Amino acid sequence: MFGFDIVGFMISWLTLFGIYSILAITLNVESGISGITNFGKVVFYGIGAYVSAMLTTYLILMLNGVNVSEIPPYNINGVILLGELGNKNPALNIGLFLLAIILSFIVAGAIGYLLTYPILRVGPEFVGFTLLSSGELTRIFLLHYEPVGASKGLMGIPNPFGWIPDSRIRQILYLMLVLGFLALTFITMKKLVNSPLGRTLKAVRDDETAALCMGKHVPKIKATVLFIGSGFSGIAGALLSYYFTSVNPNMFAPSVTFNAWAMIILGGFGNLVGSLLGAAIITLVDRALTFIIPLLGITVISPDYLRWLIVGLLLVIVLLVNPRGLLPEKPIETPASKEMKRETGEEGG
Amino acid sequence: MSTVLEVRDVAKYFGGIRALDGITLSVPEKGLIGLIGPNGSGKTTLFNVVTGFYVPDRGSVWFRDSGGTWRIDGLNPNEVFRKGIVRTFQTPRLFKSLTVLENLLLTPIGQKGEDITRVFYEKTWRDQELELARKAVKLLKTFNMLQYANLMASELSVAHMKMLETMRGLMTPATLYLLDEPAAGVDYPQARELFSYVKRLRNEQGLSFLIIEHRIEILMEFVDYVYVLHNGRLLCEGKPQEVVSDPRVIEAYIGV
Repeated sequence: MFGFDIVGFMISWLTLFGIYSILAITLNVESGISGITNFGKVVFYGIGAYVSAMLTTYLILMLNGVNVSEIPPYNINGVILLGELGNKNPALNIGLFLLAIILSFIVAGAIGYLLTYPILRVGPEFVGFTLLSSGELTRIFLLHYEPVGASKGLMGIPNPFGWIPDSRIRQILYLMLVLGFLALTFITMKKLVNSPLGRTLKAVRDDETAALCMGKHVPKIKATVLFIGSGFSGIAGALLSYYFTSVNPNMFAPSVTFNAWAMIILGGFGNLVGSLLGAAIITLVDRALTFIIPLLGITVISPDYLRWLIVGLLLVIVLLVNPRGLLPEKPIETPASKEMKRETGEEGG
Repeated sequence: MSTVLEVRDVAKYFGGIRALDGITLSVPEKGLIGLIGPNGSGKTTLFNVVTGFYVPDRGSVWFRDSGGTWRIDGLNPNEVFRKGIVRTFQTPRLFKSLTVLENLLLTPIGQKGEDITRVFYEKTWRDQELELARKAVKLLKTFNMLQYANLMASELSVAHMKMLETMRGLMTPATLYLLDEPAAGVDYPQARELFSYVKRLRNEQGLSFLIIEHRIEILMEFVDYVYVLHNGRLLCEGKPQEVVSDPRVIEAYIGV
């Protein structure tokens, strides 16, 4: 039937919104709040996606008695076997998913932590480019590394709800799961920012030298932030790999990083709710174009190109009207600031 | 009386410029010491050497606390701070996107809420945070700045920025405070208020201060001892009255 599948559209938009929001929120804490120019967000996203994809595909085959040195999951026979074996055991699927999420967090977080070592040596101006090049190096490595499928990537990754026959229910359940992880990320980051640690992060962003003079261990603080931010980006990557049930190196091009940057600049640098808004707007543009353009029967313009034009236009308009984004940064809220508001409120009237 | 800080024959060169050329001075326990000298005489450079911004080309810096005597030249600024030496900057280096209150709350050392393992359990750091807030409020009240507590530091007037810079230093418990021109740009009554507060801290809590100040009339009223720098060397030292009447000091300032 010709028509617009509004429910399908909403599910697809909200799932991508959830995944991208995790990236945008953590990027906002790293770059907006702490001042680490993270142009390598995609590294940790990609690592999370590949860790979970590898873990799930290899383990499913191995647990079903397949010899992965003969039939590896990136091989066509492996993909066929994954399709046959992948969705038989609900407990196994969900168990592997949870294991993959935890492992993605740890691996991506650890790599984020280790990357601060070269970062601290090149000085703040070069942080962005060091991370940007790490992203491209990771992608090129994946493109040529056979055990992760090289340029073909990995396919047939069993979704945690793959055993449910009805695809709509499956999608809705997965959406709930994604939004659950988004909520977890949001609450964690909100608590992190609205605390003495959050205050110190902003101080490091404002004046690193003065923060150092106030006894703050700036390198350690940055490493901690990158560990947590990268860990959650790893989770976002894992969620993406199960959503698309496949991963390949070109999904992790630098444009992913800049998409997340566009979200936080649009929504408001340093404002976590702004990141959600930015992610909602940009993923909506993306999904709307993907859904609507084929309906219009236009084949000349690829949604991919149009999306960047629209995102660019949105950014320019918002920044002209309000340079600090749609929702500007606000002072953090700690017990002390609440107490102070009460006190000055009483004195004022 | 034992010394808190000892600077021994410190030299710092920038190319051919001798910013510090063999400075020896000391700050006694409970000392309120002035450091004066014309522009470019090396006062701030000396602060930078003591607080770990510069490594001296010659000489050493020693710091003594209840735990022992430490050589502190060559340490990082954050390590020097953790030893118990707090400095303020001549040009305020406030955290501009933080409120006045947050700027004050930031400095104290050993905050539980800065620890990543505790940050998610507000219970573990809430009391400490409120205690610090009370201390900050008291400090703000002392200098009649409570009404600015929730303003962004960038919204303050220059004089208030300068005051906040000094107050921020005073928020954290330390042994020695290095204040770089705390009265610059601050009006006379408030500058006097600040110096008498510093003197009170010294008398009541036994803290030590080394203060750079160009407003000699205020400084001389409060300090016990003064060092005068000129072209990277110690020109003279002594009680305030001796120093201001020393012909060499007058010559250095007026420049005959």
